Amino acid sequence: MGLLKQIASRVASMLGVLVVLTFAVYFIQRQLPSDPARVLAGRTASPEALAAAREQLGLDKPFLLEYFHYLGRLLHGDLGISVTSRNEVSSDIGTYLPATLELVVVAGVLALIGGLILGVIGARDGWLAGAVRFVSVAGASAPTFLVAILLLLVFYRDLGWLPAGGRGDALAASEPTGLRLIDNLVHLDGAALADTVNHLVLPALVLALSPAMAIGRVLRSSLRATMATDFVRSASAKGGSWPAVVWRHGLRNALGPALSIAGVQVSVMLGGSVIIEMLFSWPGLGNYLSDAIANSDLSAIAGVVIVLGFAYVLITFVVDTLQILIDPRLREPV
Amino acid sequence: MSDAVARIEKLVVQFDRSGTPFRALKGVSLDIAPGEIVALVGESGSGKTVLGNCLLGLVPGGHRTRITGRVEVGGTDMVGGPEKDKRRVRRNELGAVFQDPLTSLDPTMRVGKQVRERGATAQRALDALTECGVPEPGQRIRYWPHQLSGGLRQRVSIAGAITAADPGGVPSLIVADEPTTALDVRVQDQIIKLFARLRDDHGCSILLITHDLGVAAQIADRIVVMSEGEIREHGPTARVLREPQHAYTKKLLESRLDIAGPLPPASVVEAGEPVLTLSEVVKDFPAPHKRGEKRRVLHGVDVRLEAGESLVLVGESGCGKSTLLRIAAGLETPTGGRADVPPAAGRPQLIFQDARSSLTPWLSINSQLSERLAAAGVPRKDRPARVAELLGQVGLDARMAASRPRQLSGGQCQRAAIARALASSPGILLCDEPVSALDATLAAQVVDLLDDLRRSTGVSLLLVTHDLAVAKRIATRIAVMTDGRIVEEGPVEQIFASPAHPYTKQLLEASPSLAAVAS
Repeated sequence: MGLLKQIASRVASMLGVLVVLTFAVYFIQRQLPSDPARVLAGRTASPEALAAAREQLGLDKPFLLEYFHYLGRLLHGDLGISVTSRNEVSSDIGTYLPATLELVVVAGVLALIGGLILGVIGARDGWLAGAVRFVSVAGASAPTFLVAILLLLVFYRDLGWLPAGGRGDALAASEPTGLRLIDNLVHLDGAALADTVNHLVLPALVLALSPAMAIGRVLRSSLRATMATDFVRSASAKGGSWPAVVWRHGLRNALGPALSIAGVQVSVMLGGSVIIEMLFSWPGLGNYLSDAIANSDLSAIAGVVIVLGFAYVLITFVVDTLQILIDPRLREPV
Repeated sequence: MSDAVARIEKLVVQFDRSGTPFRALKGVSLDIAPGEIVALVGESGSGKTVLGNCLLGLVPGGHRTRITGRVEVGGTDMVGGPEKDKRRVRRNELGAVFQDPLTSLDPTMRVGKQVRERGATAQRALDALTECGVPEPGQRIRYWPHQLSGGLRQRVSIAGAITAADPGGVPSLIVADEPTTALDVRVQDQIIKLFARLRDDHGCSILLITHDLGVAAQIADRIVVMSEGEIREHGPTARVLREPQHAYTKKLLESRLDIAGPLPPASVVEAGEPVLTLSEVVKDFPAPHKRGEKRRVLHGVDVRLEAGESLVLVGESGCGKSTLLRIAAGLETPTGGRADVPPAAGRPQLIFQDARSSLTPWLSINSQLSERLAAAGVPRKDRPARVAELLGQVGLDARMAASRPRQLSGGQCQRAAIARALASSPGILLCDEPVSALDATLAAQVVDLLDDLRRSTGVSLLLVTHDLAVAKRIATRIAVMTDGRIVEEGPVEQIFASPAHPYTKQLLEASPSLAAVAS
């Protein structure tokens, strides 16, 4: 099976997962004792207005048709209206998503780099590897919120180097992408860029910490196994040094399991960002979601769940595709 | 020999095995002359691979390994010297070929790039592949390792080993660690001849590490016999094989199963009832990476196994012999045809190649045997006596009942596995390469044990092997398989005296034998 064909089949299964996800979200929403029509029309609406709202939402039809109606609205980007903010959920998500995206992407990159360094150093024999293993275990077992508070005490209260929270709205541009790092680069605004980075450092670091350790541990053990194989012995017998052999043969062969765990970890980060956003007053989807949960704002919750679900599926797809790219045995026929 | 390519002097290598020191080499000295092929022969654990790794300067075990003595290649110290010098020697003067061609090439790197790893040009890689007998090297250079057969992969490995950094240079020493053990006999024969040709064309020395005196006999100028970290005997090949001096060498020679060995004493097998009948068995497997497509591995095979006889299926890897055995055991369903075992014969029992992994690691031998006895309906009070009896039958001490598999040697594990198979008093034992993973001395014992059991208990044997020498020692009848078909079948005497099918003849010719040298 060729590469394209395999990717096509992954995309198809990805769409299938999304349909199941939206169905589950809709089903759960309908089971709850809350009437979206009344939410839309308002508490004091007349029976006629209520019926109109019901028709508008497609709630006057059999369940499956209702679902397809809902799916149709989703495809048009209509996620309903939030009772808390009284805005369209999609526009709320448009406001909050970039902040979360920026945090998770930066933290994800940090976790990958950290995991790579920890994994490669840890794979070699010697005291440095021992130290790295110790740090990995310690880092992975430290609770996120404790580390966050500790870092805040040191870098905000005592040293005063970094801000306590927020994204640094005062200076920053938020066009064209909403991702401040990129927006400020586009506008060549050095001061705003520095402010953005200062605000990002702590939350991204805390969010990246435990995933970096997890990726590092998996990469370390898989790299150790790879470095004990005959093809690595062959490469060493041809005069390659340890770093050269790791680079040419070790990493690519050891990367598979590390990629799988990285995919899981980045997905978990999306969920984990809820706590981090609260700790650092980060104006992102996590804060929006926790407000929505507190106010039983069903449309908002469903909207965020669908966006996060879509992100999970996308990450899984990216990881699968990378696996096919690094291992020729998965794509080229025998 | 002052001009030796490699010189090993009083080499001692001591590993740390979870706290206890273990001496893999106990003061070994060896010189290899230019253009010489030295065969280093020994059983597993003899230290022969450690010696090869020392020559390459790749001693495993980390910082707790202690090495004394000297290893010099081209005048450079390969154990104590600076890493930079060792790497230079490896790039220019050494080549290495390892046992398993499936794992000794990087699966994520194209073949050509691996051959050129030491910086040779593409043209040089092409020449090396051509020289090593890789057909259509211009295309193959772009292949991934998994797209090549085992034999071709080993040729690629050898091409990489002879392509030194120095343009046009061929290493002065090639260390080949069991380079043919994982290959079929016909391919093994070709690879051995390839090594001989490389020596003749380039004058490079070869250290051939092998467990098989037969392979050594085919090619080596000199044989060095090792056991337990010491050299027991060394000398010119013909001398060592004809007039072995050391008791250990004699033992190796005597126990070796050889196709020139004697036939087993004729056993009186009365044309009995069939205990297993396979008729027109066809088996398809889904083709890898091709959804919906099938690959046919058995094309209508007939097998009739009679009570008390020993039928050996001989064939190379991929011929379908193991699949056939699994169908006979009821572990696979045939796509077409029938597999019949009359109820009286009982459920056939299987014995596998890797005995240790076929035993449950956390259960004592006693529990594993008792479990089978319970399943066979033996009352609880009778089981201890039966366990002792079974262990006695396979030549294990009754005290070993309390042991767990990891406390037993490979040979003892296989005996325990045979005892477990016998627990239900089966009419048929199905054996899949039962001695391929064992050292020569043990292999002969286990083959003889199976033969004795058949003669004493009347159990029928259906045994699968790639090794005609094993077949000769134990078979009453031999069936030769290739490409999912039985191409020749007959009594053991007939197959060896007058093979009819060209494939059988090829197998016989390619099987390494001491007969040519030792007589």
